[in-house]
Amino acid sequence: MKKLLALILVLVLAASVVACGGNGGGTAGTDGSAPAGELKGEVTVWCWDPNFNIPAMTEAARIYNAINPDAVINIVETPWDQVQDALTAAATTGVLDNIPDIFLMQDMAFQRNVMTFPELFIDLTNTGIDFGQFAAGKRGFSTVDGKNFGVPFDNGATIYAVRTDVLEQAGYTVADVTDVTWSQFISVGKDVLAQTGMPMLSTTAGGGDFIMVMLQSAGVDLFNADGSPNIAGNPVLISAIETYLELVDTGVLLEVNGWDEYIDSFVNDNVVGTISGCWILGSVQENAHAGAWAVTNIPRLEVAGGTNFSSWGGSSWAVTNVGNSALAVDFLKHTFAGSVELYETILPSTGAIGTWAPAAASSVYAEPHPFFGGQAVFADIVGFAGKIPQINVGVYFYTANDNISIAVSNIINNGADITTELQAAQEATEFAIME
Amino acid sequence: MVGRNIARFFKYAFLTIAAVLSVFPLYWMVVSSTNANPAILRGSLIPGTNLFVNIQNLIAQQALGQAFINSIVNALSVSVVSIIICSIAGYGFEIFHSKAKDRFMAFLLVSVMVPFAAVMIPLFSLVANMGLMNTTLGFMLPMLSSAFLIMLFRQSARAFPHEMIEAARVDGLSELSIFIRIFMPTMKATYAAAFTIQFLASWNTFLWPRLIMTPGASSITMPMLLANLLSGYVTDFGVNMVAAFIASVPTIIVFFIMQRQFAQGIVGSVK
Repeated sequence: MKKLLALILVLVLAASVVACGGNGGGTAGTDGSAPAGELKGEVTVWCWDPNFNIPAMTEAARIYNAINPDAVINIVETPWDQVQDALTAAATTGVLDNIPDIFLMQDMAFQRNVMTFPELFIDLTNTGIDFGQFAAGKRGFSTVDGKNFGVPFDNGATIYAVRTDVLEQAGYTVADVTDVTWSQFISVGKDVLAQTGMPMLSTTAGGGDFIMVMLQSAGVDLFNADGSPNIAGNPVLISAIETYLELVDTGVLLEVNGWDEYIDSFVNDNVVGTISGCWILGSVQENAHAGAWAVTNIPRLEVAGGTNFSSWGGSSWAVTNVGNSALAVDFLKHTFAGSVELYETILPSTGAIGTWAPAAASSVYAEPHPFFGGQAVFADIVGFAGKIPQINVGVYFYTANDNISIAVSNIINNGADITTELQAAQEATEFAIME
Repeated sequence: MVGRNIARFFKYAFLTIAAVLSVFPLYWMVVSSTNANPAILRGSLIPGTNLFVNIQNLIAQQALGQAFINSIVNALSVSVVSIIICSIAGYGFEIFHSKAKDRFMAFLLVSVMVPFAAVMIPLFSLVANMGLMNTTLGFMLPMLSSAFLIMLFRQSARAFPHEMIEAARVDGLSELSIFIRIFMPTMKATYAAAFTIQFLASWNTFLWPRLIMTPGASSITMPMLLANLLSGYVTDFGVNMVAAFIASVPTIIVFFIMQRQFAQGIVGSVK
């Protein structure tokens, strides 16, 4: 009887193994794409955000189909975390079945992925795409060893979106917070706070991203040319942290605990404005004071090379070498790197601002925006994007960023010493690189 | 007397606080699903009138019906198959008891301690090389056997009277018939508890399907749909909360239906 039970279990196991084999045969045969070089067939694209990237890609597919009706562009909504997990799983196991032809990648993760999994990506440098037409600060994120691996998409230029009515209440205008240094900004901010009770801006506690924005505005990154961390004793980083501490201490900057609280702070009139990537404008427009907002550049650090321009967020298109890469490249060349019409169409519908120079000349970008008191915000933002200093983020950007956030939080909450904390962040990052 | 009243006061005060803490997020989710984004960001705790707009937006943005059906099919098939496999295993470990099996059971239990993220990549490699990527079987395979459920059934089988098995054997019942006709009906409560646990686990599973299934409407599940809604530059919390509410309904229903058996099953089926 025991033997019978054992026999049944073995049979069940055997049957399931056979069933596995059967199904496997079915999926392996799906990779019937056209060979590289042929400009027809299907291209699968992964991107996220149904209100931003997906409609932009859908429009690009429509434009390309008018030129090449034989191509099928299959757009699949895939959150960034899932893209990253799929890349890691595919590259570490060598199973590439699930990888699309084109995917969107966060700018800050671009170099890391290309350097870690070089076999997955196509070098786009000599494919006929004119990378010189994209803003240098943006293009830099997807460039590795002088080779271009990404077609830049949405603009991550930093802006200060601000309530002009509150500034006026305290006797100031947008000009008083435009092209200024951080100390000038703080002195205006203290006065505005005293008169209106509103901090000038808010950010999520820790300020890691905020400090990175300041660093890039001075064209400084966290790594030396040889890849070693440049954290301990980095004068620009120290200046950025000191500025951040002063912003918090004076109350000019309100630290909040999470993303929803951050959005809440400017939507519900708790702060005068916000500094972020220009993509934040979608959320800013949920504020009730339409017409009373303006967009300007961010303050600069008082260090050599300090500018009023930086970037925060943004993403670029990568082409993989697993599918129909010739068609994928041709598609991007005629759309995101070649169609003014595309950028003109997606701007009003999604607010997606590109960094492709020929589109910036379009009259659509110069349209006055009623929410921002008639300011041509998009043209201004494209102008900012062209002035962003180029930096190198490398493989360990996120690690260094996290370690600096820990240091800043120790300095603010426990009164720790900047030099000691940065030394600790340097060592923690070096340790991660050694691993 | 006074001492007892004070003790009771603190007991109820503690229980009230604990109850509020556990129910409040659910209340907030339900209320927020009826509000528009600005009201939610303001922290409104009063029901609004935006429910249908939120539902419309959700349906317009995401393959809600497909995600719901996929999740139900996945959760039901994983739960049913895995409680059959785990109950046979648990029964075997206890009824056909031996020292070697005990040691093997201890080894199995160690696997409960290993977080899924640690085995995710090797598991992906294994299942992908079996050619099971993008298949329901590939999705189900790693979840079909759970050391925890095997242990649950083994503990229940320990309380199961061996005399009944002996009597059945004397009456000429086969081992399989004993399992199906005597053990299974007696252990209904344990089955219910195991089903509830496994249904919740497979309904909520997120990392594994995200890795093994190609993204797209045909493979999307409710947790993946929720992740899609959070991935944009602008988050509509109203739409999010409607989706979260819809995603919670089946687990709430399963739990309420199985509640009594669940409590019994965890304690032990045989009285």
